[in-house]
Amino acid sequence: MIRWIPALAVGLACGSQAAPGNNDPLAWLQRAAQASRTASYSGIFVHSNGDRTSTLRITHVNVGGEEHERVEPLDGPSYEIVRRNDEMFCYFPDAKTIRLDRRITARFFPSIMTGEPAAIAASYEVKLGKSERVLGFDCQWIRLEPKDGLRYAQRLCSETTSGLIVRSKTLNEQKQVIEQYTFTELKLGPHVARSDVKSIFEARVKKWITDAKPRDEAKSVETGWAVTNPPAGFQKVTELRRTMPGRDQPVSQIIFSDGFASLSVFVEPQGAPRRTDEASNEDGTTTFYVRPMGEHLVTVLGEVPLATAQQVGRSVARRP
Amino acid sequence: MTQELSSLMDGELGEQEAERSIAACCASEDQKNTWYLYHAIGDAMRGQAPRRLELPRATFESLNAQPTVLAPRRRPLMQGTLARVAFAAAASVATIGVVGWIGTQGGPAAPVPMVAKSSSAIQPVANKTTISGAVAPSLDVQDYLAVHRQIPSPELYRPVNNRAPAAR
Repeated sequence: MIRWIPALAVGLACGSQAAPGNNDPLAWLQRAAQASRTASYSGIFVHSNGDRTSTLRITHVNVGGEEHERVEPLDGPSYEIVRRNDEMFCYFPDAKTIRLDRRITARFFPSIMTGEPAAIAASYEVKLGKSERVLGFDCQWIRLEPKDGLRYAQRLCSETTSGLIVRSKTLNEQKQVIEQYTFTELKLGPHVARSDVKSIFEARVKKWITDAKPRDEAKSVETGWAVTNPPAGFQKVTELRRTMPGRDQPVSQIIFSDGFASLSVFVEPQGAPRRTDEASNEDGTTTFYVRPMGEHLVTVLGEVPLATAQQVGRSVARRP
Repeated sequence: MTQELSSLMDGELGEQEAERSIAACCASEDQKNTWYLYHAIGDAMRGQAPRRLELPRATFESLNAQPTVLAPRRRPLMQGTLARVAFAAAASVATIGVVGWIGTQGGPAAPVPMVAKSSSAIQPVANKTTISGAVAPSLDVQDYLAVHRQIPSPELYRPVNNRAPAAR
């Protein structure tokens, strides 16, 4: 029986593709954003960004409007992230530690859009690309072309029946793929069991240590810092203070997003020895820019071109 | 054809398509090899030991010829610019110990590994990658990346196994 489900899905997909009103790119974008929250799916996806590649298993169900998700990286030390709406429980069995956090804007495939499609359309031209069969599913490509050089182009492959993004690519100015998420195995639909989104590590450890600090810190606070000249289309999402390894004091973090790409600005007191020069790095979509500012150090990190990170980093000032 | 074979293995083909695909598969040495290869990859991905099959030599040869796609790529340290080295090392080693400019200890001449001081921060692995040359001090990108992407680095939690956990 199970093996007929993909065939059925393909059959349904063929039907829905011809449905009227489906030529509106924004409607497709809206659907894709919604599907990552409302659809039930399980599978394995590969994430490549610059030099790094990782493989993750994901199960996602929506029960009574609540999202339940379990993500397990399949490379390296084992751990899992169990999510209920925005609450994240990260189980590290080796460390016997559960790390609590609240999801802010971070991109978690296939839920990679954080803003409303209308906000995204302000910075990107949204178009429909070709229809294609991907992973055995009929899919529609959605193209996001940046309206300026401050962000990267995006290609989203949306499964036609559910709208779910099954593959996404980020392109640089030379149209080279610099980041990609792709399912390599995907099951869609109601046969994804609610029990599959529960922690599998929880039972393996008798006594868990709870690290609630990340969650406590995921609250908006006044950091006293501001970005006076944010790049067009980037809105401040929140500002917080985060504890980071090797620091005596929490680091101020201001998060910006254009609905798709996000960046973090970190401000912290200079350590010893003091840094005197700027430095930057780009790897895949991840750009890193650091700049000394008197007694403080400003670091910008995000999925944006270097010019964007620099514009942000150079306009950090004390809030008047 | 390989796509069809893959679909066959995933049980996505209809009866007739499957029959045709099986017939085609066994008719050609190449296809037979691909069949073995896909199963070997599938077993490896599921973490199972390879099946006890007499795999043809060609299967191993083509396995050797496959690019490594699903495993993190390790870059030789001296390849590319030093800044890139710092970045790649940050990914594979997870923590760059050399943080002379940002570390809370150590004088200018002696960069030291980061030491977690706050009660809930956890000591990073003392995997020290010494980077000398033009780009110094190096960048500990991984910490910022983990905070930005909200994906905690498991390496930060792993060593806790061997010592008293710092987290409450």
